[in-house]
Amino acid sequence: MSNPQQPLVSTEAIAKSYGPVVALRSVDLAVEPGEIHALLGANGAGKSTLVKILSGVIQPDAGAVDIHGEPASFTFPNDATAAGIATVFQDPALISDLSLDQNLTISGLHRTDIEPWLERMELADFDFGLLARDVPLATRRLIDLARALAHDPQLLMLDEITAALTPEQAALVFDVMRAWKRMGRSVLFISHRLGEVLDICDTATILRNGQDVASFSLHGVDEAELVAAMLGSELAAVTPPADSESPQLVSSVTEQSDIVLKAVDLHFREKVKGVSFDLRRGEVLGVTALEGQGQDELFALLSGDHRPTTGEIIVNGDPMSAKSPYDAIRKGLVLVPGDRQLALFPQRSVRENLAIPLYNRVSRWFKLQRNESELVGTAIERLDIDTRAASQVQRLSGGNRQKVTIGRWLIEDFNVLLCFDPTRGIDIQTKAQIYDILREVAANGAAVLLYSSELREIPLVCDRVLVMYDGEVVHEQAADTATEEILLTAAHGLEAAQQ
Amino acid sequence: MTATTSTVARQHRSTSLRRWVQRHGWTVGIWVLLFVLVAWYATLIPRFGGFQTATIISGGTAWIFLGIAQAVVVIAGGLDLGVGGLLVLTSVTAAQLMDGQPLGMVLVIAIGIVLAAAILNGFVGWIISVSKVPDIVVTLGSLYVYQGFALMVLPKVGGGTNGSFRWIFTGSENGIGANPWPSIVVIAIPVIIVAWWMGRTKSGLSLYAVGSDAPAAFLSGVRDTRTKVVSFAVAGVFAALAGFSSVSISGVGNPTTEGGNLTLNSVAAVVIGGVVLTGGIGSVIAVVPAALILFFFNPILSALGVDPNRAQVIQGILIVFVMMIAGLLEWRRMRRS
Repeated sequence: MSNPQQPLVSTEAIAKSYGPVVALRSVDLAVEPGEIHALLGANGAGKSTLVKILSGVIQPDAGAVDIHGEPASFTFPNDATAAGIATVFQDPALISDLSLDQNLTISGLHRTDIEPWLERMELADFDFGLLARDVPLATRRLIDLARALAHDPQLLMLDEITAALTPEQAALVFDVMRAWKRMGRSVLFISHRLGEVLDICDTATILRNGQDVASFSLHGVDEAELVAAMLGSELAAVTPPADSESPQLVSSVTEQSDIVLKAVDLHFREKVKGVSFDLRRGEVLGVTALEGQGQDELFALLSGDHRPTTGEIIVNGDPMSAKSPYDAIRKGLVLVPGDRQLALFPQRSVRENLAIPLYNRVSRWFKLQRNESELVGTAIERLDIDTRAASQVQRLSGGNRQKVTIGRWLIEDFNVLLCFDPTRGIDIQTKAQIYDILREVAANGAAVLLYSSELREIPLVCDRVLVMYDGEVVHEQAADTATEEILLTAAHGLEAAQQ
Repeated sequence: MTATTSTVARQHRSTSLRRWVQRHGWTVGIWVLLFVLVAWYATLIPRFGGFQTATIISGGTAWIFLGIAQAVVVIAGGLDLGVGGLLVLTSVTAAQLMDGQPLGMVLVIAIGIVLAAAILNGFVGWIISVSKVPDIVVTLGSLYVYQGFALMVLPKVGGGTNGSFRWIFTGSENGIGANPWPSIVVIAIPVIIVAWWMGRTKSGLSLYAVGSDAPAAFLSGVRDTRTKVVSFAVAGVFAALAGFSSVSISGVGNPTTEGGNLTLNSVAAVVIGGVVLTGGIGSVIAVVPAALILFFFNPILSALGVDPNRAQVIQGILIVFVMMIAGLLEWRRMRRS
């Protein structure tokens, strides 16, 4: 049954869509026995979706998975484990309210199954009576790994396991991976850290927009070549569109403009490690990063959702100490969150959703101001919101919903618009409209902090760009010269070769 | 980080007792509260002895079983409004079928009713899991259905059961006696079994896992539908045991008992027992004294000479008060960590 000529695990034309969003178009992947195989790609390329399919968490819409050349199909994570595929997922899978012993029991294991692996990772004499919530994140990741190894899988899949680890711990994990490989087993390794990919992996498959675009041996390859492969030759050649398409990109910001928002050495837990920047009136400042580099926490700090461990947020010269988003909004820091569902009241009308910030005034004056409907009407017109489905926001398309979340702030005065990935999953035309709105906001004297996971939109909208990596700002430059290659290199924590 | 780990190991040895108290503090506290209340009650009434103890325990047995039925479902992240209805249905079925039968036959019937209740309520859990309709809606439906079935089985108060069967649940063949031990044993055995199952076995811990973090539980290989069905089936078993205690106390089946009120008592017992209503945290061991305390409120208040109409108000305020203490403790714990 087990044929040595066959790949250990292979996929053929795997496809998966979530509603209208295509996560995987068609992916062919082949992992040979005894190799460490890297799965690479930018944000949203489909890596995690592929991992979920191979681990039985979700089922593909089309395509086939073969193990040793035999077709396999998984309905539950247990099926994949039984077929010899064990996974360490991006999010820790330990139940925080249960002790570690109990966590092992629900996966059908006992502490003696994982102790040998924990010892190799220098976690000997470990206390299994602790609740998972009381164990540091890095240790939980190592336990996740030990638990996966204890299932004795043919293929071990590691999705961003090193992100939460110290370099020393990561080195221990690499030792384990090498030992696993010497046993003739295979590893599918996902990491944003290209250095470690080159150190540990034998081969790589690169995903882009839900398709596998290249698969090659990593022997003799360097980081620049990997970045180039992820960008793809045709993409590297694309230049930003001509100025006629974005006439607003005449920047109104100068060195003399007031600083509206100043972040001073912000720290938050181990996620944000000393972020400082100035944002001037009239400026659109871009922030980009790979997933999980501290950008979510940075925006949560600025919008008043979290309080910084240390550091200061200064708005128009006054330090802000926000207990909740309400305080940040009072200071004029308003957020368009990444998850649009968070910001909207889906069963209410477009007008009500737009008018939400005005209700703060109700409490002060006991009635809405006369010009409320006028303001809302202007916003709808200005944003070109499709009002055919105006009675319930949940019936709007994603793009129109996003315009509502931005539009609600346009009828209030604010200093800084914090936009978290506002164009994700939105059609090109609406994207262009959102770019225009953001430029207009800046031209009218406010400032915009825009996080975008789409590197190509940075030069289209921003004046300046910051790149975050591992909780720090590792790169800063003018946006008009920020090519995708520079940004992607910096986002991987590598030295930008040239500017 | 290796330093952290060895510190953690050292802390373990010096603080395992403190940890046990921290983790089971609510359970210990609620048991202590029960004994304090009993001691206080003993000073309030002229005579306190085996008869009073037996009355409280055997009368509270149904409340305890129903509280545990609810706790199992709530810990798994659900809610079962139907347990009160199932108590009524199983009690009238028992009264109908057991009337005039010898003990052996009665026990066979009892086992049959337990199994049927498990299957019936497990089916309710399956419907919730597959249809994705919220628990509260589906089980409101099952509450009415059970109550309606009860009227079909036994249209009016009647039936009966074997004296020995009544002795098992109440310590007396006619429901009134001074021997609390049979009740204690009949409570202790299923409670110990279910506590062991939920704390030590894969299928039992899956209930906590799903209630605490359903997505992570799924990634760990726990099947959500199966867990839901199991939690509702176990609740069915305990609702049937509660039904048997109810028949044993009164000696007859009463289809007009308000199952909804019984359900609300079970929710109150769960809450006072420290089971978190959002799931994943709590222990069935603490639900036992919590249900007894709830049952015990009325005798205490009447011993104090409180007007029964005001007693309800006091009971309500006490429940909220206890919950506020729980909330305060939880808030302090969160702030420390």
